[in-house]
Amino acid sequence: MREVSRGVMVAVALAFVLCVGVVGCWYYLTPEYSRVGYTPLQPVSYSHKVHAGELGIDCRYCHFGVEQSPYANVPDAAVCMNCHNQVLSDDARIVALKERIESGDPIQWTRVHRNPDYVFFNHAVHVNRGVGCVDCHGKINQMDSVIHAKSLSMGSCLACHRNPERSLRPLDRVYDPNWQPAGPAEQAVIGQRLARELGIRTSVYCSTCHR
Amino acid sequence: MNAVPEERSPSGDGMPCSGPFRGAGYAGEACSSNEQGATPDSLTRREFMRVMSASLLLGGIGLTGCRRPVEKVVPFSRSPEGYVHGVPQYFATSMPSRETAIPLLVKSYEGRPIKIEANVEHPDKPSNGDSEADRMGTTHHAQAAILSLYDPDRATRFVYKGVAVAREEAMRFLKQTGEKFAGLKGKGLCFLVERSGSPSRARLLRIARERFPEARFFVHEAVDFDIHRKAATLLFGIPVRPVFRLEHARRILSIDCDFLGTEADAHRMIAGFALGRNPSLSQNSMTRLYVVESLLTLTGGNADHRLSLPPSNVVLMTMLLFAELGRQIGWANLGSEAAGLESALKVRIAELPDVLRGWAAACVEDLIEAGTGAVVLAGHRQPVVVHMLAHTMNAVLGSVDHAVKYLGWPEPGESPITELAAELNSDAVETLVILGGNPVYSAPADLDWARTQRKAATVIRLGEYEDETFPVCDLHLPRAHFLESWGDGVTEDGTVVPVQPLIAPLFGGLTELEVLARLCGLATTNPYDIVRDTFRGIVAEGDFEARWHKFLRDGYLEGSGSKSVAEVKPDWRRVVEAVTSINPGSEHSEGRGTYEVVFAPDYRLDDGRYANNGWLQELPDPITKITWDNVIVVGRRTAAQLNLRMPSGTAGDFSVPVVRVEVNGRNVEGPVWVLPGVPENTIGLSLGNGRSGAGRVGNGVGYNAYSVRVSDALFIAAGASISKTDKMHLLACTQWQSSSEGRAMAREAAHEEYIANPKFANASIEGMPRTKGSLYPNPLDRLAEAAPYQWGMAIDLSLCVGCGACIVACQSENNVPIVGKAEVLHRREMHWMRVDRYHEGSLEAARVLWQPMLCQHCEAAPCESVCPVNATSHNDEGLNVMAYNRCVGTRYCSNNCPFKVRRFNYFDYHRRATSRPGSQGRSSSSVARTDFLRWLTRMSPETRPQTELDMLRLLMNPDVTVRMRGVMEKCTFCVQRIEQAKTASKTSAVLSGGATVADGALQTACQQACPAGAIVFGNIKDPRSRVSEAVADPRAYRLLEHLNLRQRVAYLARITNPNPRIRDERRAETNTPVRAFAASDGDP
Repeated sequence: MREVSRGVMVAVALAFVLCVGVVGCWYYLTPEYSRVGYTPLQPVSYSHKVHAGELGIDCRYCHFGVEQSPYANVPDAAVCMNCHNQVLSDDARIVALKERIESGDPIQWTRVHRNPDYVFFNHAVHVNRGVGCVDCHGKINQMDSVIHAKSLSMGSCLACHRNPERSLRPLDRVYDPNWQPAGPAEQAVIGQRLARELGIRTSVYCSTCHR
Repeated sequence: MNAVPEERSPSGDGMPCSGPFRGAGYAGEACSSNEQGATPDSLTRREFMRVMSASLLLGGIGLTGCRRPVEKVVPFSRSPEGYVHGVPQYFATSMPSRETAIPLLVKSYEGRPIKIEANVEHPDKPSNGDSEADRMGTTHHAQAAILSLYDPDRATRFVYKGVAVAREEAMRFLKQTGEKFAGLKGKGLCFLVERSGSPSRARLLRIARERFPEARFFVHEAVDFDIHRKAATLLFGIPVRPVFRLEHARRILSIDCDFLGTEADAHRMIAGFALGRNPSLSQNSMTRLYVVESLLTLTGGNADHRLSLPPSNVVLMTMLLFAELGRQIGWANLGSEAAGLESALKVRIAELPDVLRGWAAACVEDLIEAGTGAVVLAGHRQPVVVHMLAHTMNAVLGSVDHAVKYLGWPEPGESPITELAAELNSDAVETLVILGGNPVYSAPADLDWARTQRKAATVIRLGEYEDETFPVCDLHLPRAHFLESWGDGVTEDGTVVPVQPLIAPLFGGLTELEVLARLCGLATTNPYDIVRDTFRGIVAEGDFEARWHKFLRDGYLEGSGSKSVAEVKPDWRRVVEAVTSINPGSEHSEGRGTYEVVFAPDYRLDDGRYANNGWLQELPDPITKITWDNVIVVGRRTAAQLNLRMPSGTAGDFSVPVVRVEVNGRNVEGPVWVLPGVPENTIGLSLGNGRSGAGRVGNGVGYNAYSVRVSDALFIAAGASISKTDKMHLLACTQWQSSSEGRAMAREAAHEEYIANPKFANASIEGMPRTKGSLYPNPLDRLAEAAPYQWGMAIDLSLCVGCGACIVACQSENNVPIVGKAEVLHRREMHWMRVDRYHEGSLEAARVLWQPMLCQHCEAAPCESVCPVNATSHNDEGLNVMAYNRCVGTRYCSNNCPFKVRRFNYFDYHRRATSRPGSQGRSSSSVARTDFLRWLTRMSPETRPQTELDMLRLLMNPDVTVRMRGVMEKCTFCVQRIEQAKTASKTSAVLSGGATVADGALQTACQQACPAGAIVFGNIKDPRSRVSEAVADPRAYRLLEHLNLRQRVAYLARITNPNPRIRDERRAETNTPVRAFAASDGDP
């Protein structure tokens, strides 16, 4: 029986370790890791494009906790029925929804946006201080199913926390997905004015998010 | 054993037998040695390929673990009104404890209670005219109650004769029992209940008495506080109970009354006491505390003058104090009724030594001077005569309606358990209904309760655990925790408070009210309706629904506090009777041992009811700093007589000799502990440990003192003997040192010294170099200019009584794990906050100083400069912060911390079952190996089962990261609360621009829990904040100043208020005798 020399063995092992390292780094650094593009199939074919885009319903109609809570709540199914008692109430999908509400069986949505457990992000403090929904979530009003449109990596948090004036928008435009400054120059003017008026003091220290 | 003989193992030392290869048929190869004579340094190609493919397979498993987990978001179908996901809700409730209840406000996240605070709106706040406590605190028991709620060991089943039955069946049985005895008018039916102040229970018991007129009712409390009521009622001739208002007291004399520790309503007593301990008061109006006691208790440690006497002498000392009062006031002035008393007392105190007379004279003189500001308290361990003398002293001194009030209090109609035993022994009991309590464990040993109870034909019992009493019950019903029950109660001032559930019963438990209602055959068996019905009877007029909702929202019924009785007059005849009934010189009976035993409830576990609570088990006892055990306490002389060698606590020397105590013809063995300030011939036994049916946490911890406790000597027993055994016992003590070795960590002065030199605490400490400041600028200084907040804390050692509520509050708020005894023995306890204890003064009158110790948030932090990965760093608000996900676990920071406040997660403590006391002998490496094996096999029995993990996960504060193995952690100044307060100020005042957190809007967990208000936290940049004021106090000092750390925690030196006329040895030689003792006999 032929024996493998020790040197070859070590070389193969090293190559293996290298491969694992490369694959690991590649995985870590690509959008695969930061979840961009993630579009899971949801249990209910709800379209933000129709509701938020075409109908123009305010984000807070359904995500009503966002101004008080760290979380932008996923609405309970009863919220749907506020309108759908009248609109499309005979549609098969709405009838099915109604049955689920009556049975008390909750809808299990698949989570799209997610921070790690050691990150404490607070929606309320951002939306009350001139950070728009689309700044992190992308153009939700153009999505049929929700896509993880932007990277929510620590880098993206810090980019904004270091230069908040680049992203701030007027408080009455926070929930307006279509608002856009004319250009970077206007944004700079608006952002600096807002930062001054609102007394924005972003923090870049660890304890801001990690506790 | 090789499956393929021509192949060889990969290498000589092989792989572990239980490695990942076992399942793949590799076990043989992996474990075999080189029996085929192969050279260890070469491999066959096939072998190599095989190993590599196995690694790849493992890698594949690993990589699949990296895939994004699909997470579900499950909203309500129809969300409850007013509910916002992620915003905590608070509910007012109360924690019943014997007669009284503690008003609480409980924080609930997504329907699960996670943190208990005091209900600050409750009207019974201490106030002494000058200042009002703007806050209320809780006790360590209240803080830890949340863990008991999620205890997976609680009773979960309905059991009939050892077989689990359906709930409906049990309910039917209760109903049938009720109907059967209603026909018999209750003949043969007995109830055994606990003490309770619940108006609903009282109402249901009245109904029960009506339905079962011949039934008998008994009460069992192993540690009963009813003596306070009993003695006052007997003395004054009207049903009253004393309530102490220590904030109105300037001179307090406690006769064996541990009101700061183990007596009822400690949270209220500490708050009142602390209000009077403010050193800015004059020496005359600052509280002075005299304590006469046998064991060293929390109250004794806080005393200005502590007299330690053998228990039999405490009664005589009380008589001496009373005789002295009579002499100084003039017996003639006490009225003609007191005439017989003088001579009766004189006979009995004739033999007391002059030293005591001098002490008593000075003490009584001081009390008389204070007049209405003087108060005398007697402890529950003392006989009725001591209580009567104490109440009479209050009446004579004029403190009634000032520092002590007498509230009308109905006489409980239940008889003691000894009468139930007689009833059972005469076979007169057909059915016994036990509501709560654990008599098999805690009933007096002479009653032989397990056997006695069996004499009832049927025993129905409502119990929180399947404990010692469980096996001798026929029908066992699981009891609901108070956080999942509807009920009511009264606080110590008589205010009616609700007990509101925060969650539906986790294990389907029942409340006492439900059981009684079913036995009584009531139409309403829902406890909510029962409580409402009672409430309807209490509030006669007004809109009922509105008042009910206000009651639940506020957590108390306004104006329901008992009015103090108009006039109480002591019945001197009864005092004389009680005194003459004491036989002079009877304390030692010949022929038996000469030691006296004192039974005291365990400070942490009470009478044993909290034995399965890991937070309390791991809370160090405030005096001994021992966790996971109880000890037999003896004084130094006794230790010398027995020739006991105490361990030093260094280098693994934790073994304590086991002694045997014989008393009442029974004996108990336990580890001995030598305490300074415990008199000769006195042995302290602590109740509440040595459980066999507590659950997995509490079983087998400590010794069981109930086994030697008999019904005619419940708290003090004479004629004991003590002997040394050959056995040794490992004690997990968190602080073996008693002295600060001249480093002056906790500083103190008498009030007169403080007046003479207010800045005494900042005087340079002898032998320590003076600091000259830093050569380089601190980068924080520049950042601090721009930041709106600079957080800081001040801890007032004058107010701190060492109770330890802060430790448990911190544990609850910050998800601090329980590590178990074996880990504490390795000095791996995880408490972010600890309370250091130092002994000062001579050995006989040793006073105790407590010093809460937490991360000092040094501005020039030594931990930060040694972290190789910048996991610990400063933020611009002066916090020393930890980024757990960055920490790699070098532990350099802990090594460099002068205060040893950093804690390292050696294991995934939250996932591990708490290490058993039985595993105490295991070495560190064997613990590590088990963990490694568990990681490898993922099936070690030490991992908690998933259902339990899920249960305990409910307990976690979602605002704080649950740290994993390999991560350093420490106090964060509750950074989650800071961030929440900042967020709240920003979101509530969107357009106001410079919205800032108001002073007082933010409290750390320890601060909020502290009943004494010793901890102040806030923004030191704001010169008007409370913390800035505290830091500017002349008493403020920082620890180890010579290190130039610039800590953010300032301590305010303790000011004591000794009586200048009592010259005991207190100031003589600070520290030295204790240190000398530590060197010669081991540390006390």
